[in-house]
Amino acid sequence: MITDVSTVIGAGTTPPAGAAAPFTYPPATHLWAAEPPTPAAAPSFLARVLSGAATVAIGATGIAAGTAAMIGALHPVTLDWAVPLVGVDLDLTPLGGLFALLIGIVAIPVGIYTVGYARTQHMGRFSLTVLPIFVAAMLLVSAAGSVPTFLFAWELMAATSLVLVWADHRRPAVPQAGVFYAVLTQLGFMLILLALVLLAAGAGTDNFADIAALADTLPGWTRSTVFVLTLIGFGSKAGLLPLHAWLPRAHPEAPSPVSALMSGAMVALGAYGLARIGLQLLGPGPRWWGLCLLAIGAASALFGVLSASVATDLKRLLAYSTTENMGLVAVGLGVAMLLASSGRIQIAAIAATAALLHLVAHAAFKTLGFLSAGAVLASTGERDLDRMGGLVHRIPATTVLFGIAALGASGLPLGAGFVSEWLLLQSLIHSPTPNDPLLALAVPMTVGAVALTTGLGVVVMVKAFGVGFLARPRSAGAADPLPVPRSMLAGMSVIAAACVVLAVAPVVMSPALTSALRGLRVNAAPLGPVLLRLPGVAGTVAPAVLGAGLLIAVLLVVLISRHGIRTRPKPVTSPLWACGADGLTPRMQYTATSFAEPLQRVFDGVLRPDTGLELDRHPGSQYVIAHAAYRARQRDVIEEHGYTPVLRAVRALAQVVRRAHTGSLHLYLAYGGAGLLTVLIVSLVASR
Amino acid sequence: MGWLTRIRRIGRIAEPAPAKPAPSVVLPPTGRKRSLQIRYVDAGSCDGCAIEIGAVFGPVYDAERYGARLVASPRHADALMVTGVVTRNMEQPLRNTLAAIPEPRIIIAVGDCACTGGIFADGYGVVGSVRDVIGADIEVPGCPPRPEDIIAALRSVTGR
Repeated sequence: MITDVSTVIGAGTTPPAGAAAPFTYPPATHLWAAEPPTPAAAPSFLARVLSGAATVAIGATGIAAGTAAMIGALHPVTLDWAVPLVGVDLDLTPLGGLFALLIGIVAIPVGIYTVGYARTQHMGRFSLTVLPIFVAAMLLVSAAGSVPTFLFAWELMAATSLVLVWADHRRPAVPQAGVFYAVLTQLGFMLILLALVLLAAGAGTDNFADIAALADTLPGWTRSTVFVLTLIGFGSKAGLLPLHAWLPRAHPEAPSPVSALMSGAMVALGAYGLARIGLQLLGPGPRWWGLCLLAIGAASALFGVLSASVATDLKRLLAYSTTENMGLVAVGLGVAMLLASSGRIQIAAIAATAALLHLVAHAAFKTLGFLSAGAVLASTGERDLDRMGGLVHRIPATTVLFGIAALGASGLPLGAGFVSEWLLLQSLIHSPTPNDPLLALAVPMTVGAVALTTGLGVVVMVKAFGVGFLARPRSAGAADPLPVPRSMLAGMSVIAAACVVLAVAPVVMSPALTSALRGLRVNAAPLGPVLLRLPGVAGTVAPAVLGAGLLIAVLLVVLISRHGIRTRPKPVTSPLWACGADGLTPRMQYTATSFAEPLQRVFDGVLRPDTGLELDRHPGSQYVIAHAAYRARQRDVIEEHGYTPVLRAVRALAQVVRRAHTGSLHLYLAYGGAGLLTVLIVSLVASR
Repeated sequence: MGWLTRIRRIGRIAEPAPAKPAPSVVLPPTGRKRSLQIRYVDAGSCDGCAIEIGAVFGPVYDAERYGARLVASPRHADALMVTGVVTRNMEQPLRNTLAAIPEPRIIIAVGDCACTGGIFADGYGVVGSVRDVIGADIEVPGCPPRPEDIIAALRSVTGR
């Protein structure tokens, strides 16, 4: 199964004739370019504004409710009338409040952005209606106070997001992406359902607060089973291995505001589930729980960043980067769990802080990343980095906004993701391990994995920004982009401001994180405001000082460079230096593929790219080559080697089951009767 | 034998510096003495002059002790050093290279071909001498010129 890019360079293709001709290379493998979007009419202004306003309003509600929950102003509410039999229990804990805040931060810019995006990209009226419902469902997940409410909200969230992924179903890649997403998310839901039912049955109550009180009395195997099931189930939503394959398929195909909501907020709810069940309800369990989470997180981070480094589709790259970042979050939670069960509570609190802060930072920069990728798509029609370029001169505002997102995602200082990654490394480095071989082995390996992930993350973002936005345009669409609508720019600016605040003054998150941490079982002693002072660790970082220093340095350089400006000759504009030759063409530029080629070579064993040179020799002589084609395809290794056998087994099983389906109605009725009879007999026997 | 030992054993092999030549009429292009960054272009020479230039910047003649240095990019250069007649194929690259060197800059023509066209002067593939095509501020005649002459020309600019 070929997942994405297939670049075929024909030796016989005609070279671009002259500078004026639009540069069309590589050939359009892009579905968008090959097939224009369906000519459905753009939704009316009223519909777009209503949808956007509803999304913004629900987001604002999330922020308000989250803030109220974190200062302890909310009480559990039960709405018996809302859902028959079980009712709806709402209980926004401080931890849930943090996530409600996060969803609100993501939803507000997305709501503003959608007004313009829906016009240029023809989002249907149905999608516009579902979008606010999706946001509301996510808020409901964070506010769920009982197992049935949680499951109901979770499924509502899954269903609405699926509808949104499927919005553009006329494009050929969308249905397949939708099926992948549907199967994996429902698989995850099934596991979560099983786990929570087991938990509720064991505790004898379905209210989370009561379960938390009774959790310690549960037998060990129940707790462990619940943990493992939720780890895989929530992991599928968080994009962790091995159930990550929906991310790189669904994110590129979904409309960009939906990708932003899914990648910024919905994926974070997977981590919310992990923290809620693993750290809040069941508490830090045996040490292998933490190790499991740590291993899955580290593997996801490494796999995500490696796959992102060779991805050429901008949105696919961002999707893999989501897997990477959620991997880092899982590492943070895993370290917290491991250290808490090893009795190192203070360091565990730092690790948990790092995980939560990284979630917030990731929500901000990834939302901005997807929104600006959507702006590029709307204005150039391109998603493929190999066909972009030169956008810095054509759509500068979008370029700057994507730059802020890329800086955040690369985890460099003054980027939104820096402080959380720094905290994570601090927690790892400061977990001293006297007489503890397990920690002594696990911690250095994790440090290595995190460091490698961060380093490669920089490469990924340099590639995305440098190849996608700088230099010269590589396609007609990139050479002549449409202007980005103002509402889209406004939406992106809002979330960019959040990114900058998180980068320069992460202290603003301190009260929220502190109150969220109080709900987790990693703090024995009452915590002071985290982030201002790390408990028990002598490490400090001050991004604001870094920012001020950078500003002063830039000012100094500007001042010094102005010194003696009068005596110097006038500046001239001269053509680019091309080693004396004329006619630099965009073909001479680095592409995303060539930029990643060294990495692809180094990690050949992991990535297993399918590359090859196919030569058609001339029938007359084997020394004359009639046609040469280079093939480079990047597939998802885990999908190819992990999913295919499972799918084959399922198909084989289905063939076996099919034998019972003969088409005879009488037989089917007999099956039904036999089934009913069996259930009656079993229940009769069991009740005796 | 380790490389440190080898360095110590061989020692310095540069020839002693000859007497300072008379300063050139051409001022150093940067307006500051003692340094000259040179981009070298072979506009169509037989490579005889190039070999001498190689010797000039080698360990024996060691032009770098007089402040002259070959650089890789014209953007870093103050001077363009050209050898050979300007052939048709090299005319535009030569002009492009000159245009890429920031002003103020000087042009040094090295060898008879560069100065006058030499024995190739009226060849069918020849545009003209460097003097004709882009002009030359300093000319070093000879076929090929002796390294001492090239060094003297460079020192007349750097003043060292």
